[in-house]
Order: sequence, then C-alpha cells, then structure tokens
Amino acid sequence: MTELLATYDASSVNAALLTSSLLFGIGLVGFLSRRNMIVMFLCTELMFQGAALAMIAFGRVHGNPDGQTFVIFILTIAAAEAALALGLVVLLYRRRETLDSEAWSELKEC
Amino acid sequence: MEVTLAYALILVPIACAAIVGFSPSPLAKWIGTFGAFATLAVAMLFAWTFPHWTDGLFAPTNDATSWFSAMGVSISLGADSVALLLILMTTFLMPLILIGSFTSINERVKEYYFWFLLLEASMLGAFLARDAVLFFVSYEFTMIPMFFLIANWGGLQRRQAAVKYVLYSFGGGILTLVGLLYVAMKMHAATGEWNFGIGPMTEFCSTTLPASEQVWVFILLMAGFAVKIPLVPLHTWLPLVHDQAPTGGSVILAGTLLKLGTFGEFRIALPMAPIGGVEWNFVLAVLCLIGIVAAALICWVQHDAKKLVAYSSVTHIAFCMLGMFSLNSIGVTGSVMYMISHGLSTGALFLCIGMVYERYHTKDMDELGGLYRRMPIWSFFMVFFALASLGLPGLNGFPGEFYCLVGAFIAEDTAATGYPGLMGPWFAIIAGLGLIAAAMYLLMLVGRLVWGPLREPGAHDKDHAHTSHHAPTSALPVDIGAREIGILLPLAIACLVLGLYPEPMFKAIEPSVKNMLKPYPALVERYIRDGTLLNDETETANSPFADATQK
Amino acid sequence: MLNFSLLADATDHAAATAIGVIQPAVDAPDLKWAGLIIGLPALSALLCTICGAMRVRSKLPAFITIVALIGSFVLTCMLFQQLGQGAPRVVGLFEWMSFSWGNADRFQSFSAPFALYVDSLTLFWMLFVTGLGSLIAIYASEYMESDVGKGYTRFFGGVSVFLAAMATLVMASNLVVLYLGWEGVGLASYLLIGYYYSKPSAVAAAKKAFIMNRIGDLGLALGISLIWVNYGTVDYATLFSVLEAGPTAGHGDWMPGAIPFLLMLGAFGKSAQIPLFTWLPDAMEGPTPVSALIHAATMVTAGVYLIARMYPLFALHEDALATVAWVGGLTAFVAATIGMAQYDMKRVWAYSTISQLGYMFLGLGVGTTFGAGYHVFTHAFFKALLFLTAGAVMHGFAGQIDIRKLSGLRKVPGFRLVSYLALLGCLWLSALPFSAAFFSKDTILTAALGSERSDFQFLGWLGLLTAGITAYYTFRVWFRTFAGPVHFEAGDDQHDAHDDTHDAHHAPVAGLSLGAKHDFHPHGPRWAIRIPLILIAIGAVAAGWPAYNVLFFHGENWVQTMIAHSSAVAGSGEVHGQDVLGLSAHLMTSIVGSAACVIGIGIAFWMHLADRSAADRVRGALRGFILTRWIPTTLENRWYVDEIYHMMFRLPLWAGSHILHFFDKTVVDGFLVDGTGRVPVAVARLFQPLYNGVLQGYAATMAGGFVLIAGWVFWIWLRGNG
Repeated sequence: MTELLATYDASSVNAALLTSSLLFGIGLVGFLSRRNMIVMFLCTELMFQGAALAMIAFGRVHGNPDGQTFVIFILTIAAAEAALALGLVVLLYRRRETLDSEAWSELKEC
Repeated sequence: MEVTLAYALILVPIACAAIVGFSPSPLAKWIGTFGAFATLAVAMLFAWTFPHWTDGLFAPTNDATSWFSAMGVSISLGADSVALLLILMTTFLMPLILIGSFTSINERVKEYYFWFLLLEASMLGAFLARDAVLFFVSYEFTMIPMFFLIANWGGLQRRQAAVKYVLYSFGGGILTLVGLLYVAMKMHAATGEWNFGIGPMTEFCSTTLPASEQVWVFILLMAGFAVKIPLVPLHTWLPLVHDQAPTGGSVILAGTLLKLGTFGEFRIALPMAPIGGVEWNFVLAVLCLIGIVAAALICWVQHDAKKLVAYSSVTHIAFCMLGMFSLNSIGVTGSVMYMISHGLSTGALFLCIGMVYERYHTKDMDELGGLYRRMPIWSFFMVFFALASLGLPGLNGFPGEFYCLVGAFIAEDTAATGYPGLMGPWFAIIAGLGLIAAAMYLLMLVGRLVWGPLREPGAHDKDHAHTSHHAPTSALPVDIGAREIGILLPLAIACLVLGLYPEPMFKAIEPSVKNMLKPYPALVERYIRDGTLLNDETETANSPFADATQK
Repeated sequence: MLNFSLLADATDHAAATAIGVIQPAVDAPDLKWAGLIIGLPALSALLCTICGAMRVRSKLPAFITIVALIGSFVLTCMLFQQLGQGAPRVVGLFEWMSFSWGNADRFQSFSAPFALYVDSLTLFWMLFVTGLGSLIAIYASEYMESDVGKGYTRFFGGVSVFLAAMATLVMASNLVVLYLGWEGVGLASYLLIGYYYSKPSAVAAAKKAFIMNRIGDLGLALGISLIWVNYGTVDYATLFSVLEAGPTAGHGDWMPGAIPFLLMLGAFGKSAQIPLFTWLPDAMEGPTPVSALIHAATMVTAGVYLIARMYPLFALHEDALATVAWVGGLTAFVAATIGMAQYDMKRVWAYSTISQLGYMFLGLGVGTTFGAGYHVFTHAFFKALLFLTAGAVMHGFAGQIDIRKLSGLRKVPGFRLVSYLALLGCLWLSALPFSAAFFSKDTILTAALGSERSDFQFLGWLGLLTAGITAYYTFRVWFRTFAGPVHFEAGDDQHDAHDDTHDAHHAPVAGLSLGAKHDFHPHGPRWAIRIPLILIAIGAVAAGWPAYNVLFFHGENWVQTMIAHSSAVAGSGEVHGQDVLGLSAHLMTSIVGSAACVIGIGIAFWMHLADRSAADRVRGALRGFILTRWIPTTLENRWYVDEIYHMMFRLPLWAGSHILHFFDKTVVDGFLVDGTGRVPVAVARLFQPLYNGVLQGYAATMAGGFVLIAGWVFWIWLRGNG
C-alpha cells in the first residue's frame, strides 16, 4: 500500500490546495461582508470545508491516512458546532426579532 | 521571647482587626481601640526587653520562618533601635487616632477600624522585616487600607485622590521591586543560591556589585521611597491626599507612612548601594533644598489649613532628608530624630485641624478666624504644636533640626571640617532660609486661625458676630472636651519631654547610624578626589565592611 | 575730690592678651540650687497654665509670678554674695543635647548639656534682669487688672516664660543652651506682643517680631555650627581655654573669620539694630509692662550680652568690631532722628531704645565692654522708668498715648509723682551731667572719640550729635505731655483684650478718640504702680554710684570690676584715648556732651513749651525750602524702611510663592503627573475603533493578524532560503 502512495502527482495536489484556498477565501470574504447570521454561519462552514480539503491534499502528500482521519474529525466537530451555533442563533433571533448581527454590538469600548 | 513579641506586634492588630470584622457595629470602635492599645502594650514590652538599645544590633535574630524556601524568601523579623523607635511612635499614635475618630466616623464604622488595624499591622511588618520580600509586601500592602480609608471616608474628591495615591505609590514600588530583584538575581548568579535577607543582600550589593550597576540599583531602589517620602518633584500626590483624607488617615499618613519612605532609604537604599548613594548625592541634596524652600513658600500662600500643613510636611521631610544625605553621623542622627519628632508634631497639627473641621465643616482660613475666643484650650494646643513644628528649642523639633543643619553645614568637600561630604555651608544657609519661611507660614496659620477677630462660617461680619453667629452645629462641645484633650495632651507631653531630654534617643540612634554609614567616608573621599566613583569597574577589594576605620 | 585723671587712665586691650586673663572655670556641683533661678519662673509658667486650664478668675497668677521672680532675685543676690568676682563656676544640671559617635575626641562629639556658667558678667546681668523683672511684675499686677479673668493668666504665664528663658540665656554654659533661651525669649515676646489678639495690628506685630528675630537666629545657629567645627566645642569654658592655646587650635582654619559676623547678625536681630530693627516699634502693640520689661530693659540687651560674652571671638576678623561699631553708631543716629517725629509716646521710647542700644554696640565696637555694660545697666533703669510712667498715663487716661492729645499732666491730681519720675527718666535719657547715664554714655563716647581710628572718631562725633537729638526728642515728649496747660482726651480703652463686643464698635486706632467722653475722670495710679516706679527711680539714681565712687572716693567702679572678671575683660580697661582738639578725650566728651544735652533741652523748651506753635512753624519752614522739604515727612514716615522692606522682600516673596504654587499645581502636578496618567488613556483611545462591538470587525482583525504573522513567517523562510 505505501509503495502505491509513495509518489504523488504534484499538479493534482496543487489543484486540490487551490480549490481549498478558494473555498476558504470565499468563506472568509463572505463571513466578513454578510450580516445575516445564518449566512455568516454558512460561510464558516465553507471555511471548514476548505480546511478539510487542504487536509486531504496534504494527506496525499505524506502518503498516510492521517489527513483523512483528521477530516472525519473536522466533519464531526463541524456538525456539532453547527447544532450549537444554530441553536444560539435561534435564541438571539428570539431576543431581537432580527437575524442582523449588527443588533448585537454592545460589547464595545465606549 | 523577643521573637514572640515581634510576631505578636504584627499578629495582634490582625487578630483584633478580624474580631472587629465579626463584632457588632456599636462595639467596633471599642474593640478597635482596645486592639490599638494592646499593640501599644506589646510594643512597650518589646522595647522594655530589647537588649540592643546602644549597640545597633538587631533583635530577634537568626530566627526565620521559611516562606518560599526555594527562592530564599523567609519571614524573618528583627528590629534595631531606629526601627524600634519608629514602631513605638506608630503604636503610640494609633490609639490616639482611633479615639479621635470616635465622633467623626459615623458610617461603616466597623470597616474603618478594621482597615486601620490592618494598616498598623502592615506598617509594623515593614519596620520589623529583615527579609526584602517581606519588607516589600508589607510596604506595598499599606496602600490597600489607605485606599479604602481615603475612598470611603474622605472629602469630595476622595476617589481621585485614592486612585492617584495608589497608582503613584505602586508605580514607585514596582521600580523598587525591580531593584531588589536585580540584586537578588546577581547574588544568585554569584553565589548560586537565592537569599532575600536584607542583611546578606546589603553585604553583597555594597561590596561586590560593580560601581556602574550600583548607581542604577540605587536609583531603582530610591524610586519607590522617593515617592513615599515624598521627594520633590514626586510630591504632588501628598497635598491632594491630605486634603481629601479623613483626619485619622492624614495623621497616620504624616506620622508613619511618610516615615516608611525615609526608613526605607535609611535601611535599604543607602546601605545597599553606597556608590550610588554618593554619585547621586548632590542631585538629591539639591532636590531636598528645592523642596525645603519651594514647599515652604507654597505653604505661605495657601488658603486651606490642611493643605498648608500638608505642604509643611513636604518641607519638613525634605529637611530631614537633607540631614540624611549629609552622610555624616550628626546629620543622619538628626535626620532620624527629626523623623520621629515630625510624626508627633505634624500628626498633632492634623488632629487639631480635624477637631475644628468636625465643628465647623470647613478648613478654609478665609472663613475661620480668631478661634481663641471660642476654643481657648484648643488654641493652646494649636499654638503649642505649631511651635513644635517650627523647631522651637525646648520642644521636639529642635534637636533633630539643629543636628540636620549642622550635619549639612559641615559636609564640605574639602577636608577642612573632618567630615567630607558633598554639601557645605551654602546648603545649610539655604536650608536655614527654609526655617525662616517655616516661621512665616506657621505663624500665618496660627495668626489666622487662633488670633485675630473672630470669624465663623456663616457669620457675615464682626458686628453681627455676637448676635447671629452660627455656633458649631454638631453635638460636640464648643471647645475641645475631655476626650480630645486626652489625645492631645500625651502628644504635647511627648513633644516637651523629647525636646528637653532628647539624649536617650540620641544614644539609641547613633550606633545604628554608625553601622549604616560605615562604607561612606571612604567612598566620599574617593569621590571628592576623583570626581567620580565609576572609574574602577572591577574593584571588589575595596570592601567597606572589612575595615572599620572611620574618621 | 573730683579726680578726672583717675578716669583718664588707660590700659591697652587686645584680644590675645585678654584671653589669658579669662579665668578658667571651676566645676561647682554644690551650686545646683542656682538652677532654681531658672526653675522658679518655669514653675510659675506651669502653674499659670494650670490656672488658665482651671479658669482661675483672681489675681492668683500675678501673685505666683511675683513670688517666683522675687525668689529668683533673692537667689541671684545669694549667688552674688557667695561668688562675687571669683572664678567662673560651671554648674551642670542635666544632660540635654550631647552625644558622641567616635572616641572621646572633641571633634567626634557634640556636647551641650543644660548647665550654668556663672561668672561676674552673668551675675551682673541677672541682678538687673531679675530685679527689674520682679518690680515690673508687681507693676503689671495692677496695670493689667482690668483683664483679670480674661487674659490676666495668659499675661503672667507669658512673663514667667520670658523670665525663665532670659535666665537660661544669660546663665547658659554653652551656646546651644543660650540659643534655647534666645528663642525662648522670642517666643515670650511673640505671645506677649500678641496679647491683644483680636487686634490684627497686634497679631501682625507679633509675627513680624518673631520672623525678624528668626532671621538673626539663623545667623546665630550657623555661627554656633562654625564655632563647633573650628574648636570642637560650644561650651564657654572649653572654648576659652582652646582659644587661649592660639586661634588656630584644632580645625580652626575653616572660615573662622565668618564667626563674629554670624554672631553679630543674631545680636542685631535680637537687639533691633540696622537692618533688623523695624520690629521693635511695632512691638509697642503689646501691653506697656511688656514693652518695659522685654523691649527696653532685658530681652533687647541679649544681643549686647552675646557679643560681650563672645568678645574674644571678635578678634578673629579684623573688621568685626569695626562693623559692630558702625552699625551701632548709625543705628543710634537714625533711630534718634525718627524719634524726633513720632507722636505716640511709646513709639518715641521704642526708637529711643533702638538708639541707646546703638550706643551700646558702638561701645562694644570701639573696645569698651565696660562702657557698653554700664550703659546697659543704667539704660535698663531709666528706660523701664520711662515706659512704666507712660503706662501709668495710659492706665489713667484709658489708653491715650498721643502727645498731641495730652498736656500739663503734672498738674492733674494723682499724676504728680508719675510726672516727676518721668522727668527723672527723661533727664537720665538726655545724659544730664553727673547722672548715671551721663557717665555710661560718656565712657562710650570717650572711647570712640579718643580712638586712633578716624572712623571711630567720626562715630564719636556722630554719637555726640545724637546725644543732642536725644535730649531734644526726650524733652519734646516731656514738655508736651507733662508741662504746659492742662488738657487731655481719653483714649480707647486699649487694655481690654477680651471679646469682640467692644472691638466691633470701636475703631482700634491708637489715639483716635471718639470725642470727649462724658464725665471722664482720669484715675491716678495706686500703690502697686507707684512703688515699683519709685524703686526703679531710686535704682536709676543709684546706678551712678559706681562712677561717683571713682570720682569722689577714689574707689573702683563696681560695674567695671564685674566686667573685668568675665569673658568681656578685653574691653574693661579704663578708657582715655588720644587727645582731641587739644583737650583730653574725656574732657572733650564731657563738655560737648553736656553742651549737647543743654542745647537739646533748650530747643525742646522753645518749641514745645514756651511757644508750642514754633514746632509747626519750623516744620512749615522746612517744607517750604526745597532742599529740606523731604525731611519732616521722611522722619515721620520712619525713613520708609518698612515700605522698603515690603518692596524688597515681602512683595517679591509673595509673588514668587504664588508663581511656585502655580508651577507646582499646573506643571508638576497637572502636566507631568496627571499628564503621565493620561498617556495610557490616549493610547487606548488610539486603538479604540478596533473594538466597535461588530462581530465582523473582530473577525477582520483576526484575519489581518493572521496575515501579518503568516507573511512574517514566509519572509523569514524566504530570507533563510535566499
């Protein structure tokens, strides 16, 4: 098994890394520019996926299953965190009747 | 026996503070006062059994409880005669302050007495400490009770005053800590073990540390003490704090807390880094002179009685430090004597002003005047303590002041007087001008408050004075009553006795002074000869503790 | 019979030989009872304080004080009887300010025990201090009686403190104890000048006296330090024996010449000489017995005592004694000119005191401590007499003391004795030939006139001119007040120091009456005032006995003998000096002095008795002529010295203090301290926009931070590989 995976195709790894950074970038930009809380959360999920893809690509580089193992972890944690976060979003919505994140800007220096 | 008493000196106030904390409110002041008297009794017993009054040694010795043994920090207590005199002064003032606060503190009474007893414990800890960390902790801990005392029971701007006090003291204290740590680290590098004992640190630093480092160590150590003393230009917190603090806070601040700074100078800064002490001597002496003259003149134009006495503290303490920086036996002995007498007379002045404030709710000299008519007994004490503060011979201010002046006068940089130093006649002359200024402002204070036509706040002019004057509205008697006389009279007697018979104190102070000054004559002579002490980086052979020759 | 030649013998006096003549002191522990001379007034002061605390409302404080002072006088007489003119005795009482820090070497210890040094100078001084003190205390017990229950106790407490301090000063065995007494008399003076404390002018005068004295005291303190540095001791006995070994024994080469000048400064402050004299006229705000005792007879002589005691030290600098002489001579003249133009009787006597003290310093400076000491003695009596008679007038006329408002008092019933005793005092002050004061002033002026130095001769002539002026202003007062037609206006009841009920309604300016009070009857003094006056007058006459003894009986002058056996021996020789204009100096002084006296009295008679409008006409004439126009107003305004001092010292100090205060509050506190406090706040405000509470903002910051760190790592990697 290891001999099969010892060498890797650089261009396909590069393509995967490029895709992953694109995903991360889109997620980051989206997070910074959107105000709707659910959309912001979607963007964080995108960032997660970008990181996961990068993990897979580097797993391919090292030729061992560590990268893919880590991806399973990421997916699990992302799912758990999604549940928590969406639950918090629902609570916040109930408080202010809006999904606008600007409604929650009181923790600032006066 | 001494060990027990030394620990008792610190633990008794803490225990009484705890009891006050748990006792019902009406009893708080009695328990608190009892605690102060108990501490006084312990201190007097300690003084009675103290074996080293005339040889400058410490007692108890060699009995240290380990605290952080890995870092060489231990709780070691020891007092020599100078520390013991300051302890006696503090424990003497405390009951008087607490009794004096009976009528002026009416809210949160328990806390007031609690904080005062804690303050006393930490001050005594600072005087007794023979370990640098213990000293520093006690020294800085005094800030906490003072903060609460000022912030809770003070004047209109008490919060700002308390914050300023803490930040300023703490800032200076940090620098002192840096200095102490530096010395300890160097010691560790040289000997391989940590030891924070003041004796070993002093020995190491003064003999082994190179000159260029000693200079900086001195300034670092001095920084904290200079703020506390206070040395001009680091003095501006004092008038504000005195103005806003309650009477009791002012008395203990002037009486003891300022002396923590001068004591620190005497015990730690000057002995540990003698080369620094000599290099910076001229600058510090000039700062003292500026403090003496400028602060005295500023006193003269004050309108508020308490601020006047606060600035007078600045000028008196500057005079005291001038004596200390003369680096000869006479000057430093006078300086220590002055510390003790200043605590008594200025503390008493603050008590007197506090008594007037309780009755009239103002300290403004434009609103009050000619109070002799209403309060003849108070006036007697006020004039008495003003004269003691001014250094009238026969009262306690004179011996210290005279010796400080002589010490400064003879500390000339030629060998003509036999006492080499970096000051000289001009310093004494300018300091003497400060004495004349002292007469000016103290007689102005007395002339406005005690003598002159009667003026009470609310009365419009003299003609109406005897028909519609607003008599003091509190439940206090018009003139001071038995309780208040009871606290002023012991102070007056102490002032008189110290003024007429200071000799036992001199005999007690002098050996400690001699020990402190051991390295100095040789260093001063070298400084005068070479113009600097920094020319011998690697010199360790010049061990001042080795040779005990002195002029 | 008259034997002028005896008075004309001369002995050479130089400091070096004189020191050898100062007898070494002898320890006398058996004389410890002499400490009671200080102890009795001190005890009386304590008892008066207790009386005050217990609100005693009788004359008990006066009684206690009088008993204590008479006790001191008796003890002094006993001491004199026992010791006379023998060797000085040193009586240790208790250790005060002594400690040593090295071996027992002189220069490694400072020894100032509370001990007494009793030699003939001490006894001489103490006799008239305690004697006059007792008499004036008796006088004051009646004079101050309107204040019984109000300030009476405070007054006698102050007097007791004064006598205790004065005794300490005179009997001290070392300079530090002298300094204790020195400041103690200053304290008593402060308390007693400010006795009428509700008058702002009295409070200000008390403050001024204390502060001006303090300026002199600084000089004295520095002088004491310098003496210790040079000779290793401040004790008289040791000091004199060290000096005997030569002026440079020990370290004695560190500015020894400055010592006499520093001591001189102290003396000038205490004895009101130029430039520190303006406090004395203001001190007249105090009650008259205070003026008599403190500011005429005793405290102000402390400066003379200091110089007499430390006389050997004045040889350390060649110009020291000359400076003393010049200051004394000039002060005598200036003060006399001011005295010519004052209207308040007490002020005239105050300036007269300053002037006569000037004579004493002149005497010390030209080398005759005998003359100076004798003049102190005679002056004490006649000046006390003058002040006390002025007090009797004030007592009877409700505080009136303005010579323009009183006249012909010798014809007022009850005041005849007072008037004639005042006449005696005036004649003595004018140095009437063959009065005691004539001899004492004569000695001084002879020494000056007959000196070899021309500047001393000038001072001698100036002194003779001043004598004429003295006679003039003295009799100006006497002729105006006690002679002429009877007329008086009542004063303002200045006695009452009690509460504001009176003060609030009365203008407190002396001499300003509210018009004739209805049915005002001046009451003459009773016996408690009269007897001391008579006794003091007898003393003034008897003070001439030492000179009569020499003149008529070929005996010796007691005063001279007393001074010759003390540390002031250097100037105790007979005075004769060179011939002046052909006559012996002594004869010249006597003749010119007597002439000056007669002429002065004559002019006063013309202008103030025979034709009282003559004074105004003379004044008008002076004002009319352009060159002399300034004279009357300048003299009336006391040479504007007070105003000059105010401009030169007080105003700049006041301005400077305000500037310092402003600087302290604004620059040091505001800018530096509070400014340092504002720096963290400013820095925080710089970064504040980052914390705007918006979630994305924080995320952007995180991202940006990450980019920076990543870039930095990348850059390091590049540098490592490039």
